[in-house]
Amino acid sequence: MEIRLEGVSHHYADMEVLRDITLDIPQGKIVCIVGPSGCGKSTLLRLIGGLEQATGGRILQVGDAPADCLNPLTYIFQDFALLPWRTVAGNVSLVLEDHGISGQQANKIIDDVLNRTNLQSFRHAWPRQLSGGMKQRVSIARALAVNPAVMLMDEPLSALDSQTRELLMDDLIGLWTATQFTAVYVTHNLAEAVRLGHHIVLLSRRPGRISDIISLDMPLNERHFGDPVLEAQQARLWTMMRDEARAADAELLHG
Amino acid sequence: MSNLINRRTVLKLMGGTLAAPFVLKHAGAANRKIKVGALRFTSHSASFVAFERGYFADAGLDVELKFFQAAQPMAVAIASGDIDYAVTAISGGLISLAQKDAIRVIGGALSEEAGIDGQKILASDAAYQDGVTTPSALDGKSFGMSTAGSSFHYMGSRIAAQEGVEMKFKPLQKVGAIIGALKSGQIDAWSIVPHIAKPLAGSGAVHIIGNVSDYLPDYQVTTVFTSRKNALEEREMSEAFLNAFSQGIDDYTAAMIDKTADEDAMVDLIHKYVYADRERAKAAPSIINGTMRLNKGAALNMASVTDQLAWFQSENLVDSDISIDQLVDASYVDITGQ
Amino acid sequence: MDKSNPVASAVKFRGGGFAPTPLRGVGALVFFALIAFAEFGTRSGFISALTLPRPSDVLLTFKELYTSGLLWKHLLPSLTRLAVGAALGVSAGICVGVAIGLFSLVRAGLVPVVAAIFPIPKIALLPLFVIWFGIDEGSKYALIAFGTFTPTVVATYGAVDNVDRTLIRMGQSFGLSWFSIVRKIVLPGAMPGILSGLRISLAIAIILLVAAEMLGAEYGIGAYILEAGALYDLERLFAGVVILSVIGVIVSATLGLLERRLLDWRT
Ligand SMILES: Nc1ncnc2c1ncn2[C@@H]1O[C@H](COP(=O)(O)OP(=O)(O)OP(=O)(O)O)[C@@H](O)[C@H]1O
Ligand SMILES: [Mg+2]
Repeated sequence: MEIRLEGVSHHYADMEVLRDITLDIPQGKIVCIVGPSGCGKSTLLRLIGGLEQATGGRILQVGDAPADCLNPLTYIFQDFALLPWRTVAGNVSLVLEDHGISGQQANKIIDDVLNRTNLQSFRHAWPRQLSGGMKQRVSIARALAVNPAVMLMDEPLSALDSQTRELLMDDLIGLWTATQFTAVYVTHNLAEAVRLGHHIVLLSRRPGRISDIISLDMPLNERHFGDPVLEAQQARLWTMMRDEARAADAELLHG
Repeated sequence: MSNLINRRTVLKLMGGTLAAPFVLKHAGAANRKIKVGALRFTSHSASFVAFERGYFADAGLDVELKFFQAAQPMAVAIASGDIDYAVTAISGGLISLAQKDAIRVIGGALSEEAGIDGQKILASDAAYQDGVTTPSALDGKSFGMSTAGSSFHYMGSRIAAQEGVEMKFKPLQKVGAIIGALKSGQIDAWSIVPHIAKPLAGSGAVHIIGNVSDYLPDYQVTTVFTSRKNALEEREMSEAFLNAFSQGIDDYTAAMIDKTADEDAMVDLIHKYVYADRERAKAAPSIINGTMRLNKGAALNMASVTDQLAWFQSENLVDSDISIDQLVDASYVDITGQ
Repeated sequence: MDKSNPVASAVKFRGGGFAPTPLRGVGALVFFALIAFAEFGTRSGFISALTLPRPSDVLLTFKELYTSGLLWKHLLPSLTRLAVGAALGVSAGICVGVAIGLFSLVRAGLVPVVAAIFPIPKIALLPLFVIWFGIDEGSKYALIAFGTFTPTVVATYGAVDNVDRTLIRMGQSFGLSWFSIVRKIVLPGAMPGILSGLRISLAIAIILLVAAEMLGAEYGIGAYILEAGALYDLERLFAGVVILSVIGVIVSATLGLLERRLLDWRT
């Protein structure tokens, strides 16, 4: 299943947030979206996920989601969004219950996703007992449980310290190498973008337009921390973005 | 009382010291400033008369009348020293305060007396239609009272005992609430002074089914009381008060019962205090209806008081070891019924 | 000043304070001291019998109450009134509060009504309740129910409003049904707020017990206290008040237990 955006634009009241976004999110690829603060990245992701309706343009789902997919468009949130009153297993089971999956069947799925995210031993832990990185792993496990066609990730690593971020990036690369999921990954961290993105979409400051799309051919599992090629790409992206970011920073909010 | 921790006492002492030079001008027994508690009931007329006709002033008392909504707070006000003399029914609270050496009964006021209209026994319309036309039919019925240990409780119990019936007593705190409950049939019966009973019966919502005096012929309904300290240490002042009060009783009795004095003038006087919010023409019948015997010379019917104390004790409402001497200082007025 | 050998002095400590630390037993000690003072004062006579009852006499009165069996005769109706009244008021309050939290129409319609009835002293409505629900148990249940209803509503919709919106977003993004979101996200999320509202509501219920038993109650702790007040019987008055306090403490402890069970995920 692919996602296609055709001339999408969006307004909040009379504030234009996104303008004429046309973009393909190909099956089995990770598309990173970067751009200065407030340019509409999160908004774009909400539009794709169907949590908000675009005021202009069309967002299309091309092809059907696989039959075993419970929730085709699945979010991973920056602040994890775990229910504090449910254990790790309970948080995963939450998204299965509404599909009538319980008991043995649910346990099998929960075991599987906790294994894939290295959380087996935290099955009965409360969210408050987990570190930030662990919480985000639970949130990834929960997303995996519904077998998504497309993962929508809004700065999933921003709330974590840089070491944990590195570890989780490795985890995500491992997961993708195993299953090759499709993902839209919003970030303002260029290092994450060059490590995880097959395509990097650069948005201008508000109203967000696509100012460039960069494709990286290096296989994900060969990308490592401190790789000179990636660092060069990152530096290039930064020069392209710097002026926009500075201008965006100097803007009055809701000016 | 002298050992009581009481902020007010301290303040009074301080105020007294500061005001001393001015007090000296009115030295002597003359013009003692005192406060007298009263309810806006016709049964308190003696105080109104003594005040209006200057009997208090003649006795050297500079009286200020303090009005209350119920008898209970008046008893507490005597105990706390806020007022000096008051008139109210004997209740468990009054006896309890006497036991704590806060107050003493020094005279009598309102009495039931054969031949003079007294307190009435009332039944709600529903109960009346149901056959409660005499007090003997009150078995299993509910009887209104302000609180346990009130004079209503006493009257109801005595009536029930003499009729050999069992009643449920419903505490309703205030006379207004009892009237409401009786009118709406929430309770079946009650007893009350005639100036409240008669208009109620006139409206048809309740019915008079008997007289309290049939059961308690010489019932000493209200008494004059003061603080123990006044009774023991301020004999001159207390006697002065009772004298003036008795003059008020005499005037009231002459006008309202013996009809040897001008009834209209008396009604005018009372109307200044009772039913003042109604016009004279409407208030007059109620005031006249409310006429009851006030004991001449503030005499006290000791037999009735003793019976009341015994009843409160038998109902376990007050301590069983309170003696009549703790309640009554019999040295002031004529004692009857012994 | 000699640069090569500067004077070394310890950095001055400026922190500390402003952090309440739990001190066990101090509360009990204060209680004990107050009671001992009252006992001593009434025994030695510098506190008159009119001012305070002697604590040991209060205890004796309580014992009498217990041995005569009157304690249960007073306690059972009161506890029934509290239980029924509070159960009615609290459950209605939670339902209405959740509805206000969830539906804009209900919010627009009911928030002003609740704001209007909240400040009414419910005692003032007692005579009205007697006419509506009868002088027996009905009016007493109604008074307590009404008194607990409004604070529960306000606490509940406040708690629902405070549920983390991103959790609701999360539920929607996983395609959870509306009902599932309410049951599994909104209600548990609002539970801490609802429970702390319950503390206030139930304290109000106990306060209203005395008022509820003003009209027509032969038995009940409130009736007992009112009667003691009318008789100026300070021992009974205090015995009754202590019973109310104990009920309050028990209710609060039960709620604490409930909180620990329902909110074990918190700490
Ligand atoms: N629900 C909303 N109503 C009105 N304005 C909104 C709403 N959501 C976002 N905005 C505004 O739209 C603009 C884009 O917001 P958005 O959150 O999409 O930016 P972003 O690129 O994700 O920024 P950041 O890097 O800070 O996360 C901002 O100016 C924001 O204030
Ligand atoms: Mg954002």
